[in-house]
Amino acid sequence: MKQGHGAGGELRRIVRINEEIKSVVATAFKINLMAMNAIFLAKRAGQNALGFGVLSNELRRFATDLQQQMTVLREMTYGSVTTVTGMLKQTQLNRVLERARAEAVGEGRKLIDDFLRDHAEAMLRHEERIVALNRRLTQMIADTAQLVELGSVLARSAKIEAAYGGAFSSSLMQVSSDFEQTIGEIQRSLENLTKHQFQEATA
Amino acid sequence: MKTAQVIYEDGSHKWYAIVRDASRPNYLIDTNEYLVVAGDDAILLDPGGSEVFPAVFSALSSAFDPRRVSKLFASHQDPDIISSLSMWLEFNPEIKCYLSWLWASFVPHFGGDADTFVSIPDGGMDIIVGSQRLQAIPAHYLHSSGNFNLYDPKAKILFSGDIGAALLPPGEDGLFVENFDRHIRHAEGFHRRWMGSERAKRDWCARVSQLDIEMMCPQHGAIYRGDDVRRFIDWFAQLEVGVLKS
Repeated sequence: MKQGHGAGGELRRIVRINEEIKSVVATAFKINLMAMNAIFLAKRAGQNALGFGVLSNELRRFATDLQQQMTVLREMTYGSVTTVTGMLKQTQLNRVLERARAEAVGEGRKLIDDFLRDHAEAMLRHEERIVALNRRLTQMIADTAQLVELGSVLARSAKIEAAYGGAFSSSLMQVSSDFEQTIGEIQRSLENLTKHQFQEATA
Repeated sequence: MKTAQVIYEDGSHKWYAIVRDASRPNYLIDTNEYLVVAGDDAILLDPGGSEVFPAVFSALSSAFDPRRVSKLFASHQDPDIISSLSMWLEFNPEIKCYLSWLWASFVPHFGGDADTFVSIPDGGMDIIVGSQRLQAIPAHYLHSSGNFNLYDPKAKILFSGDIGAALLPPGEDGLFVENFDRHIRHAEGFHRRWMGSERAKRDWCARVSQLDIEMMCPQHGAIYRGDDVRRFIDWFAQLEVGVLKS
């Protein structure tokens, strides 16, 4: 971790990530509902919208997978809060020990030096844990980005299929445009997520 | 992990109860934290001890953006109430902590400086959260000598701190009191021992009887609703307190 960034800063970063996750979860829920409506619409459109119906089913599966992925991400950020809290306590203890060391003399000072050495090692272990968690988080975000790219492809394909929807073509076109737009929102949230994560990964 | 459950909602005015940490070790008393949200502003009531900070912070974050929590309210000075203060300050150094003037120079041992604390005078005060005006209601000597409840006149909710607290056994730890007679057995020993003053108790019962309360939310145990609020006040009024044995 960057010097001066601090455990408090790490906590604020986790909150920024969590807020983006909440936004993606809400959007994934919206896509799920939209996909259900699209499936009904495709059924009404009949033979002309068979392909659109298949894609709507796939989009619904995509929304479910995305929600599950976000649940895992959220659990990971909660795990990070526990680790960062440990770091916060360690940091606060170190501050107190440093102040005590400045005033201590002789044997007392030696004892505090020993304490500080032990605490430096404990701090290092906390930092290693944070680095490992961040690595996993980065990987998860990359996997999610791939999943969302698939969603984006599905939405584009739905748009093409909508053109063959006969009398329902304009309704199907509207629905597929909504899909495209909503998945675009998720992509933007993921970009923000990556940005927050990258800030830490390079810190 | 704890969960954040909405117990009151009217537009952007909400009360969340942050409760029931299944992963909490047995040597720590379970605590309830409450978050009052009004628009873009929020106050966290009795934020809890440093040991439960990760659980409280995570549960709160799942429901609300913790960057918008601008105030903490500490009913009194105990470690299970406010020892997480230093963690909250690391997260947001601008956060303000409202507590009795009596503890204003004691609680900084947990963290914070002169800018952190807003001292509540003995008679209480209003605390503005967003567009809502909450009231710090005196509850001194119940159990702490500088002790406050927080009343929300619009939601008709009284956060009662340790008053109404119950130490619930596993399996009887629902969010709300469902059977008053059964529930109150788990509150009796606590109130007899922790609440130290008959006079203070009578004063409090008279004071809160004047308030229109639909929910009374203690810091431990279950929430009293509807008629159970009146039942609790009546029960407490006749309970002998300040005794060693129940």
